[in-house]
Amino acid sequence: MKEQATTPGSTAQRMRPLSPNIQIYRPQLTSVLSITNRITGVILSVFGIALVVWLTGVAAGAQTYSRLHLLIDSWFGQAVLFAFTFAFFLHLCGGIRHLLWDAGLGFELRTIYASGWTVLAASVALTAITWLASGFPGG
Amino acid sequence: MSKDLRSPFARAVGLGSAREGVAHWWAQRVTAIALLPLTVWFGAALISIAGSDHASIIHWLQSPLSTIGMVLLLIALFHHTALGLQVVIEDYIHSGIKLPLLIAMRLVCYALAVAGIVASLRITLGG
Amino acid sequence: MIIERSDQLPRVTLLKRFPVPRNFGVAQGSRIVRGKTWRAPDGATRVKTFEIYRYDPDTKGNPRLDTFEVDLDDCGPMVLDALIWIKNKIDPTLAFRRSCREGVCGSCAMNMDGTNWLACTRFISEMGSPGTIYPLANMRIIKDLVPDQTHLFAQYEMVEPWLRTKTPESGSERLQSPEDREKLDGYYECILCFCCTSGCPSHWWNGDRFLGPAVLLQAYRWLIDSRDEAAGNRLDNLEDPFRLYRCHTILNCTRTCPKGLNPGRAIAEIKKMVVARRN
Repeated sequence: MKEQATTPGSTAQRMRPLSPNIQIYRPQLTSVLSITNRITGVILSVFGIALVVWLTGVAAGAQTYSRLHLLIDSWFGQAVLFAFTFAFFLHLCGGIRHLLWDAGLGFELRTIYASGWTVLAASVALTAITWLASGFPGG
Repeated sequence: MSKDLRSPFARAVGLGSAREGVAHWWAQRVTAIALLPLTVWFGAALISIAGSDHASIIHWLQSPLSTIGMVLLLIALFHHTALGLQVVIEDYIHSGIKLPLLIAMRLVCYALAVAGIVASLRITLGG
Repeated sequence: MIIERSDQLPRVTLLKRFPVPRNFGVAQGSRIVRGKTWRAPDGATRVKTFEIYRYDPDTKGNPRLDTFEVDLDDCGPMVLDALIWIKNKIDPTLAFRRSCREGVCGSCAMNMDGTNWLACTRFISEMGSPGTIYPLANMRIIKDLVPDQTHLFAQYEMVEPWLRTKTPESGSERLQSPEDREKLDGYYECILCFCCTSGCPSHWWNGDRFLGPAVLLQAYRWLIDSRDEAAGNRLDNLEDPFRLYRCHTILNCTRTCPKGLNPGRAIAEIKKMVVARRN
């Protein structure tokens, strides 16, 4: 907030101090899940770039693609992919929760909290399922 | 730092209501709904072709359904991304860099979408 | 783990504050320094410690955090009682707003142990040790726990919180069915304490243009009042990327409302109305 508000009548004509906000406000499920949804969204934006890079690599031919494939298969690539999967499912489940809110549903505090924990649990479960499923032959 | 002598009401009014904003909100939701099946489809497909050789991946991507899905995914993804990042930039950046950043971000998203679509079409039509 | 009412306090605290530097984004003049410690009078057996934000506009200093020891056997059960006890017995310069002492006027809204609530309805026994008392978050401070709410009331005035009609009065009252009157329940009860607005991160970052949950809840109250005839005009004024659409459904507002109201739902309904009128 850029507006000035001076202390009238005081010897020092200075701006009133701003009371602390994020420095002292308690993290609650509401705000934590919300900022998580935003952070995962930004992470996924970066992976949008990765998607285009991957597609271009595939289109460029087997040689270019094999180098890309090496990077993906490395332990670093797999770790990044794992983190991305978790971020993806967090954003997906969080997004569905947001869509329900946009329809006007789920605003009771009990439902807000229940759906919030569900998003967390579902994201963990879906990430686990995805990685277990991709570990089987044929994948 | 010059003092702002406007009344509190004038400061609250600012430049008045833009009388728009629902288009962005609606498009964000529509692209989100579109992305639900598209990302799940793509994710499942990725798992099934992971580890395959280059030729098999090309073969999968060349099918008409895969091409359509890929193009739709790219359009919806980068539109949703542009809308989302726009809100993030508007939220946190208030200095003069905001507008150039918004424009640059949007152009990059368009460029990436086009690059992805071109790659996808090259795969399908190239053989 | 599941919060059912806003007056429920969490049983477990995983994080007391967000993992940001203590003075993250804080201007020099707003940084809080260590203040005085005020011991309880001799002979006090049940003592509770409070850390209270202080700011004196008549001296040159920065805001500070004073530590007060309160004799619980000598004061009432609510945090407001502790503040009044401190002002009466220990430090008469402690400044705070208060009036009804029963949770209906909204004067004593402040941030206690990290969340916004009314001091007169927050039990001392629910506070941590030490309990922290700050003013409402992200407000210009006049003195100690007294925030400057001028901007918030200017935003409130901007949504024209009164009946707007073209149809002249018929001589008797404007009629409203019981069903239509019921629609106002949960919205007319707002006491404008601004706990919600002060707890909204989006209002922290964009409070100069974003109206915030309190004002938007009242805007909704007038939008759905069946006697009002200016809904289109009201929605025109609200439909703005900042005034309305800075709300990202964070829902700190609903979590913190000391009257158990639901600004988050009200804002979602406004957004639905904006969509409905162009479909």
